[in-house]
Amino acid sequence: MHITVTEIEKSYATVNAVRGVSFTINTGEIFALLGPNGAGKSSIIRMLVGMTRPDRGTIAITHQQAHYDHVPRRYLGYLPEDRGLYPDKSVEKNLLYLAQLHGLSKAQAQLEMNHWLEIFDLTERRKEDLKQLSKGNQQKVQLIAAVIHKPALVILDEPFSGLDPINQEKVVEFLKTLRTKGMTVILSAHQMAMVEKLADRMLLMAKGQMVLAGTLLDIKQQAQPKPVVVIETQQAVTAAELAILLPDYTVSMQSEHRFSMTLPSTAMLSTCLQTLLREFTVQSVSMQNPDLHQLYLTAMSAHQQEEIA
Amino acid sequence: MISRQSLIVAKWEFLRFFKWKQQLISYVIMLVIMGVIFTWQFLVDESRDEYRIAVPGHFTIENTAQFQFQRPSVSVDEQLKQLMTSETWHAVVTEEESGIVVHTAAGKKWQQLLEQALEQYFRQQYGLAQGLTPAQLLRLSEPVSIEMRFLDEDYKGDDRPEKAIALAVLFMLLIGLTTAFGQLLMSITGEKQQRVTEQLYAIVTPQQWIDGKVLGHSLSAMKAMFTTSLVMFVGILVAVLFLSDKPLPWHLINWGVIAWLVPFALLGILLCACFMAAIAASIDDPNTSGKGAVMMITWLPLLFTYLVIDSPTGWGMTVLSWLPITSFAAMPVRLAMVELAWWQPVLSLLLLVAMVYWMRRVAGRIFLRGMQMYGKEPSWADIMRWAMSRKIE
Repeated sequence: MHITVTEIEKSYATVNAVRGVSFTINTGEIFALLGPNGAGKSSIIRMLVGMTRPDRGTIAITHQQAHYDHVPRRYLGYLPEDRGLYPDKSVEKNLLYLAQLHGLSKAQAQLEMNHWLEIFDLTERRKEDLKQLSKGNQQKVQLIAAVIHKPALVILDEPFSGLDPINQEKVVEFLKTLRTKGMTVILSAHQMAMVEKLADRMLLMAKGQMVLAGTLLDIKQQAQPKPVVVIETQQAVTAAELAILLPDYTVSMQSEHRFSMTLPSTAMLSTCLQTLLREFTVQSVSMQNPDLHQLYLTAMSAHQQEEIA
Repeated sequence: MISRQSLIVAKWEFLRFFKWKQQLISYVIMLVIMGVIFTWQFLVDESRDEYRIAVPGHFTIENTAQFQFQRPSVSVDEQLKQLMTSETWHAVVTEEESGIVVHTAAGKKWQQLLEQALEQYFRQQYGLAQGLTPAQLLRLSEPVSIEMRFLDEDYKGDDRPEKAIALAVLFMLLIGLTTAFGQLLMSITGEKQQRVTEQLYAIVTPQQWIDGKVLGHSLSAMKAMFTTSLVMFVGILVAVLFLSDKPLPWHLINWGVIAWLVPFALLGILLCACFMAAIAASIDDPNTSGKGAVMMITWLPLLFTYLVIDSPTGWGMTVLSWLPITSFAAMPVRLAMVELAWWQPVLSLLLLVAMVYWMRRVAGRIFLRGMQMYGKEPSWADIMRWAMSRKIE
């Protein structure tokens, strides 16, 4: 399923939720929508699902030579931001109901359900009411409900929320499995570490606008983060001492002997070290490779400054 | 016309509130309660017993099936002693200056019947004293026969068994609507609060969803109507067969009228369920919304019909039986009590079918638009605008 979104805009009563956003998603890709709360991720997802329509701009979806302006229900697996199933019904009944609504026969639904329950270690709990399960396990049931009918496109709004690190890893594996099965996946998330492991391409948003887009490499190039250097000293140092010594640098203490420093540019490193060596014995110096989280923070801060300007 | 998805939703909704074990237990309890009431009535019925009554020697009162009037030779004081100490007498009647006095150990229900028997005896005695003949006395004691004759040949009469059937249908409709009201409100607003709605929207269209809901809960309402009728019928059957010696009054049932009542009642339930679903779909939070009460408007056709039930040929009943929003309650009553040309119920039924179709589309539209308003409840103006729009999705 190939998706091209061009300059879409969406406003609600007093909020411009999405402002001129464009992106493309290729078949079999994992595409991540990133951004703080209120960035417009869920609004974009609702437009893709067809729950709302863009005020301006277009959504063009191509699947098996057919064209659509939103994802047809039969090809869609959806995990909404506001999720919930029937808490007073068993895991099995919830899944079979939704699978049959998706068009599966009871036998097919049973087969698919067994397969996914096995993967998520929920086979033993299939007869239990949903409300008896932990939040994490309920989340897993919801994920199964989104993919049980083998859709061409899976849209997951915050799939990692409410999960512990072990289950977050399981979801990462689950999403990779979906990709190997040829499904296209769109997800929105705050967990940058997870997205970094998964996403083929991503879109960073803030206040309804596109901030950065592309692969992780593209984003690194676009974000141009300031270099971060990690320094270890023989003597103990304090933040106050460093603030006096290096007033123009952003310093973050990691321990008494270790701190990181954000430099305006790599060229400033030697000047900075010379100043430090006058007061302390430096044991090691290493450059830190910015992860997606840092890129995200850098991009957001730059966007905020642009907005103010 | 109805999709597979709607049928799956309908089945789910129907079974969601169908707890057969609890239902079975509740029906058994209902039957037991009815049995206990009938048995208790039978046990405490004093009219089947015989009572010995001591009366003064000159009384010529005749015995009845219940009362044996005896003229003892012992004194009144002795009779009263016997009344208190043994079961010789159930009552002792004496004559005093103030009038007749009935002495008994304690007040009981059968004594009212004794009073009536004595009253009739003394009325006869006064008549004889006035020189009336026994034939004149008999004439005076007979009730006056008043017969109502109606010139309108289409009016079947007020005391026909069909009226009881029509009233029973109104009662059953009330049960059905109450069931649908509770379940639809809980089901639709509950799903919204449990956040299932957005998930379902990605799977089925709003129209399929609302069709399934309406059908499922209408079936629930019909099941409640059917089972209540069945339990009541079984109760009456048991009472008639075991507690009374009368045969079952099958001949009173007009099957032709019942055949008309059923489609009107079923379509009425569907219509009201569509309306209730539309209103429920516009409610964001049932705890703070005042819209839930509006769903009870569906009871008004029953009330309006009941208020004009004694004037089935009047303009009120005629208007109600043609209006598609009230015909499901009024036309069956009119059919039961007035002879109508065949095309009248047929046309009324067709109008009702059209109304049900329109209302289900309205419910679908309101649900779709209500879903698109996040965290905000639509105003009545919004709801009216959506109801009148043509957009489905």
